[in-house]
Amino acid sequence: MSAARTRRTHSAPPGSRPAPPARAGFREALAFEWIKFRSVRSTVRTALAAAALPPVGAVFVAATGSLQDDDTVLGGSLTLSVVGQMLAAVLGALLITGEYAHGTLRTTLAAVPRRATVLAAKATLLAALLWALALASCSVAYLVGDALLPDGERPQGEPLPALFGIAASFAVAGLLGLAAGTLVRHSAGAVTTVVGLLLLPSLFGPLFGGAERWIAGISPTAALEKLTQTSDASADAVGSLGPWPSLALVTACTATLLGAASMTLRRRDV
Amino acid sequence: MIEATGLTKRYGDKTAVDGLTFTVRPGRVTGFLGPNGAGKSTTMRLVLGLDTPTSGRVTVGGRPYPALSAPLRTVGSLLDAKGVHGGRSAYDHLAGLAAGNRIPRRRVEEVLESVGLPPDTARKRVKGFSLGMGQRLGIAAALLGDPEVLILDEPVNGLDTEGIRWIRELMRSLAAEGRTVFLSSHLMSEMELTADHLIVIGKGRLMADTTMRAFIESHSGAHTLVRSPQPEELRALLEAAGARVHVTPRGGWRVEGPDAGTIGDLAREHGLALHELTPAHASLEEVYTALAQDEAEYRTEAAR
Repeated sequence: MSAARTRRTHSAPPGSRPAPPARAGFREALAFEWIKFRSVRSTVRTALAAAALPPVGAVFVAATGSLQDDDTVLGGSLTLSVVGQMLAAVLGALLITGEYAHGTLRTTLAAVPRRATVLAAKATLLAALLWALALASCSVAYLVGDALLPDGERPQGEPLPALFGIAASFAVAGLLGLAAGTLVRHSAGAVTTVVGLLLLPSLFGPLFGGAERWIAGISPTAALEKLTQTSDASADAVGSLGPWPSLALVTACTATLLGAASMTLRRRDV
Repeated sequence: MIEATGLTKRYGDKTAVDGLTFTVRPGRVTGFLGPNGAGKSTTMRLVLGLDTPTSGRVTVGGRPYPALSAPLRTVGSLLDAKGVHGGRSAYDHLAGLAAGNRIPRRRVEEVLESVGLPPDTARKRVKGFSLGMGQRLGIAAALLGDPEVLILDEPVNGLDTEGIRWIRELMRSLAAEGRTVFLSSHLMSEMELTADHLIVIGKGRLMADTTMRAFIESHSGAHTLVRSPQPEELRALLEAAGARVHVTPRGGWRVEGPDAGTIGDLAREHGLALHELTPAHASLEEVYTALAQDEAEYRTEAAR
């Protein structure tokens, strides 16, 4: 490296540089997060796996005929959407724990020191991406299941507007993962935590007697199962709250947790 | 310009940075010197707003770092060779940072060229980079926003001699353009060659804030290396004249007090032959060690 080459790109003395630029805010942070997301294999692959699972599940269920008689076509086609949703939650966790693991969070926060903006950008990217991917993936899964399953043997289920809610439950699961990842910081711990948050309410809900309909309905998985109108979505398993109220409850809880995560991130040293 | 006032950081009952007050001025390279664990990296994280000070404050260009509108266009920093995701390409790493601070994309190619990372290498995943290439990428990220202030933590760590020389010249040319360059190192010899001004810390406390030359002169106590075929006579003579005389590893005398001229005259007056008469300064290394020792002794005394 010659000194002359170095000097050429830094020739402007500080005094003659143009006026300071407009404030870099949320839009810039979002663009930054998008580049980070698409330039690493692990995040892209996790997102693609989450989107691939529901159609694969529909083919599998139709091919093996492994459906209960009282299940709906919609519910049967979306059997694997629960696992896809879990991957969505894992993706959310990785979006921030990956930064801790690779030491890039310091780089990120040096570029965008307003930490709430960083987390908001991550949340926006994640929610938009998961909603769009899940909507496409679950619609395809339903169409595949509908085409492959024999006609007239079982109730159809109502795909609309349920599919929009199903896609939203993926986004909410992702945000729950992001909140857990921000609070826990380590990938393994965050993934364990968020999978627990998805599964435990329906396991422990029945222990809470009268509060069961709230407790069991508090997981994004419960909301998803109710929206898919599967026969698994019994009141025992996922609470007796209706599908949309359940989704609203889960969204509110996730938003609260994300707010707590944002406050923690702002206070913590990195 | 970086200004720290009473900057203090405690982790539990451990004080990492203890009431630091200093100013880093533009147009020169300011070295930030201290042994490992002295609090250099903590101080730099405090400057960048990554850690919150327990008390005191620090500003960059008159504002706290988190209040900067597009920080990379004011301050470029290199904290350690990590800070880059191994699975991402160098180009994408810089493109992300550029997007986050409204820096035009063409700057990415410019800085990659200026640090000597070829385009095909820049498109490869950083995982395969050597330590030197990783450090060049870190410098490229620091230069991306064409910042007035550069903050670099141990930039020559792990570099070969050519890389070290490159960084040294780069720092000096950036300072010559009127930028503020703040550079930490635990390598005294490197500082001696690169920095104009020195801020020295030990155990989180300020030990010196002065020009390089003044630092060495005021703390080294210039001395003279002397050899004579009649060593004991010379020693007695010098000590009688009030000089402090120590034996050197090479078998001569290290004389503190009288300068070379005075010693030469004294020897001639008493008919003693001299085979060597060399004025010398302590290296930064020796000065730092002495300074650290004084500090340790002072603390031991104070503790009693």
